[in-house]
Amino acid sequence: MTAAWYVALITFKEGIKGRVIFGIFIIALLLFAATTVVTTLFMRDIVKVAVDLSLSTVSFAGLLTLFFIGVNLFSKDLDKRTIYMVISRPISRPEYLIGKFMGIVFLSLLVVVFLGILSSVPVIMSKRFYYYPEAKFDWGIYCVAVIYIFIKLAVISAVITFFASFTSNSFITFILSLVAYIIGQSTEGVRLLLASQVEKIEVSPVLSYVVDIAYYVFPNISAFDLKTQAAHGLSINYSYAFWTALYAIFYITIAIVIGALIFRRREFP
Amino acid sequence: MAIISFNNITKNYKTGFRKQKTALMDFSLDIHEGEVFGFLGPNGAGKSTAIKLLLNLIFPTTGKAEIMGRGVAAREVKKLIGYLPENPYFYDYLNPIELLSFAGRTSNMDSLKILEKTESLLNTVGLWNERKRAIRSYSKGMLQRVGLALALIHDPKVVILDEPMTGLDPIGRRQVIDLILKLKSEGKTIFFSSHILEDIERVCDRIGILVNGRLVRIMDIKSESLTRPLEDIFIEEVEKAGGARE
Ligand SMILES: Nc1ncnc2c1ncn2[C@@H]1O[C@H](COP(=O)(O)OP(=O)(O)OP(=O)(O)O)[C@@H](O)[C@H]1O
Ligand SMILES: [Mg+2]
Repeated sequence: MTAAWYVALITFKEGIKGRVIFGIFIIALLLFAATTVVTTLFMRDIVKVAVDLSLSTVSFAGLLTLFFIGVNLFSKDLDKRTIYMVISRPISRPEYLIGKFMGIVFLSLLVVVFLGILSSVPVIMSKRFYYYPEAKFDWGIYCVAVIYIFIKLAVISAVITFFASFTSNSFITFILSLVAYIIGQSTEGVRLLLASQVEKIEVSPVLSYVVDIAYYVFPNISAFDLKTQAAHGLSINYSYAFWTALYAIFYITIAIVIGALIFRRREFP
Repeated sequence: MAIISFNNITKNYKTGFRKQKTALMDFSLDIHEGEVFGFLGPNGAGKSTAIKLLLNLIFPTTGKAEIMGRGVAAREVKKLIGYLPENPYFYDYLNPIELLSFAGRTSNMDSLKILEKTESLLNTVGLWNERKRAIRSYSKGMLQRVGLALALIHDPKVVILDEPMTGLDPIGRRQVIDLILKLKSEGKTIFFSSHILEDIERVCDRIGILVNGRLVRIMDIKSESLTRPLEDIFIEEVEKAGGARE
């Protein structure tokens, strides 16, 4: 497994030196600035808006990193055969895949830590200038929300890794991962909607069956979203947080193991 | 003892739905310890295919490739091999120092040894002064040189080079020849493909000619000195086998 570690480091380095990440940082900084300005337009709930927008920015920057840098780090290796310099060494295919995954996770960790810290600026500003006593806000909950953004990004990294294990074209990996993300984002909502049956709509059993399958196959992305809790200073349900983290670990493990099994038999002609 | 052995290998590539291209047909070859073996053949003959099989980058359809008596998938085997791919390409934004350090570490070398070896190899291939520049600004020949350094950083027993002279200037070609001879004097086994017959004649102990996926001739060019130019022999063998294309 030390081999995977070296692959992770070189992937991380290549990801940073590619400089796209600085573009993403700049976009995020502009969004933070915009958040600070925009919050002044709201008369009430300023802190809530600031928290919501700041966390969204961190998450958005992380997603940009994964979809524009992470996907490319895989496909360039396969397109340009950079992978030869790795696989021809004492590094197995699964180690390569795991290393690549870890490298991309490190990249998203960097983004989340850096922007997570910076994201406190618009929040602090909104608190300082427009403070009203009844607003509830807790930095601890804010931090937990940031950590869950990272967990979400790790899950999406695993999805990208899984797709990269059998595709060699960056566009296909990108599209598949994006579709998985979008479906994963909405399955829980759709499932709840179908279960509630408030409207007098007949839900065919086939449809609810399909939705159930999608719910288990695709990552439940919305589960990691703690923006509302952070914005309203609501206390976090720790058992929920625990099970969600466990779910992430479980999902990542399965995606990577299946990806590694596919990748083991893959040829690089 | 055979260091490298190809045993009755056939390799088919999928080229479409139910379509296949046979790149190697019942290919067998043994390469002995300490020899320099030159692998010749027209474009598309299957040389790179045979080499990629040795590195376990692709898998044989039938047959088996072995290095020192073990299947090529084994980690222990990979530790012994240094490989230069044809048209090598590396991580765009890293420099040779970073690449060599990665390569050295994956081969379990300690940092001091890596530094020493990096300096000496980059001097040998003439890139020491460019060592801090990102690979993406390198020319084709410079990439080839980085590839050579990467193949040799861990002092491998078996050196496998796919067209090591391609893209090099006359000085570079000469350096590669000297390098091969030096490796041979250190007792390494060298298996390389090339189209430059002159260079092959200069360094090889034996040569093999591959045409259309079949090994048509093996010659010991060190002991039986050539009575005719290698070029004539090559062309004759290719024509006898029905030309380069089927
Ligand atoms: N990925 C692939 N898919 C289908 N056919 C392939 C693939 N790679 C190689 N081939 C075919 O296999 C044959 C052998 O190719 P190979 O690259 O081994 O030739 P080569 O001897 O190295 O040629 P060159 O001297 O041009 O490098 C060729 O006919 C080639 O078209
Ligand atoms: Mg070739």
